[in-house]
Amino acid sequence: MMKLIGQLLSGSVISLEVFFLTLIMALPLGFLVAMGRMSKIKVVRVLVDTYIQIMRGTPLLLQLLFFYFAPYYIFNSSLPRFASAILAFVLNYAAYFGEIYRSGLQALDNGQREAAKVLGFSKRYTFFHIVLPQVVKNVLPSVGNEVITLVKDTALASTIGVIELFRIAQTASSRQFSTMPIFIAGVFYFIMNYLVSRVFDLLESRMQY
Amino acid sequence: MSELMIKAENIKKSFGTNEVLKDISFSLEKGKVLSIIGPSGSGKSTLLRIITQLETADDGSLFVEGDPLFQAQDGKAVYVSQKAMHSIMLKTGLVFQSFNLFPHFTVMRNITEAQRAVLSRSKEEAEDRAIQVLKEMNLLDKADAFPSSLSGGQKQRVSIARALVMDPRILFFDEPTSALDPELTRQVLSVIKGLAERDMTMVVVTHEMNFAKSISDWSIFMENGYIVEEGEPEVLFGNPKEERTKAFINSFRE
Repeated sequence: MMKLIGQLLSGSVISLEVFFLTLIMALPLGFLVAMGRMSKIKVVRVLVDTYIQIMRGTPLLLQLLFFYFAPYYIFNSSLPRFASAILAFVLNYAAYFGEIYRSGLQALDNGQREAAKVLGFSKRYTFFHIVLPQVVKNVLPSVGNEVITLVKDTALASTIGVIELFRIAQTASSRQFSTMPIFIAGVFYFIMNYLVSRVFDLLESRMQY
Repeated sequence: MSELMIKAENIKKSFGTNEVLKDISFSLEKGKVLSIIGPSGSGKSTLLRIITQLETADDGSLFVEGDPLFQAQDGKAVYVSQKAMHSIMLKTGLVFQSFNLFPHFTVMRNITEAQRAVLSRSKEEAEDRAIQVLKEMNLLDKADAFPSSLSGGQKQRVSIARALVMDPRILFFDEPTSALDPELTRQVLSVIKGLAERDMTMVVVTHEMNFAKSISDWSIFMENGYIVEEGEPEVLFGNPKEERTKAFINSFRE
């Protein structure tokens, strides 16, 4: 039993790596996506919109398989499994984050920007001190939802052979002819998400006004 | 001869095919209060938003304290440089109908932020000025409150304070009491009246006819993008020449 827990813990480390690497890249990339989606240049807008449609319109599982196998068929060589997984997660989540940011930016009452302009604030100052703090507060619950989904989605990396928490639990499960390891893995996911939601609660309470 | 604070000549503005301002000319002397009345959609707010640079004019000229913001050239309004536009913007302050306070800042920070970031005043300097104005507005006890905890009348007074501390040469009010009930309206109007007594140059777009009559030195009635009639408030409100002015003012008497 202790040995199983140890194995699951080391699998969790891989899951957490997928989780954090995805967040570190997808959260800022989402901002570029939002900017592209609202771009004045039509070509950019159409391209970014197409990208979002594809990322949101097809299963993440399929995207994982695509980023792992497609380079093999095209270039005759694949990215490492882990890198393919990160690539798929980042591109998928950036699409969702981008749409969340966009809706947050567009939901902000234009009167805020107008008041800032009339007071003489520069565009840059207005963005960082007036617009951004309010948008961050407004999108925080939606971003929190996505981040919680990401914790669970990391299990999909197992389909392209990344040895993470779920894959280890599955292997142990078939070795022991028991579903118990998978349920224990479930507890692991639950604990991680409990922590994630507490972090977001904390962030939200800090932004009360 | 007193100084001209605003001189507007033949200003025109369209949104698409909708001509909002057709040919607007007026001027305002230092220390005077101008009220602009007229039905919704007459172009009053658009005119204010052009002078405060939230909209751009299509044609015409505008001078603020003698300095051009834009000038007519071959049927188009040609704006001055960004830098010159900014320095004119600092001369004008605007109070919105919907307050537009910054919800994530306290009252104090709403009033000090622009003083510090735009006018480069020190924290102490900005706060001293804010405290002085908040005292006058009877709002000093709300300095650390967030806007969400204030009443509409308090919010509007904070937004007047926020505009005042920037020491504008002309203060514009865009229907400052339209979102307020009669009691709160009274609070805000008495603040504006106080400013008028101190010879603040002001332009007030309002639906409060009695207020407009009592506060202003000059009144303009606008309809469909034109100035239909202008004059001393006693005349414009008491004995207007134009039928349309009469009809509009009478509609408030019922």
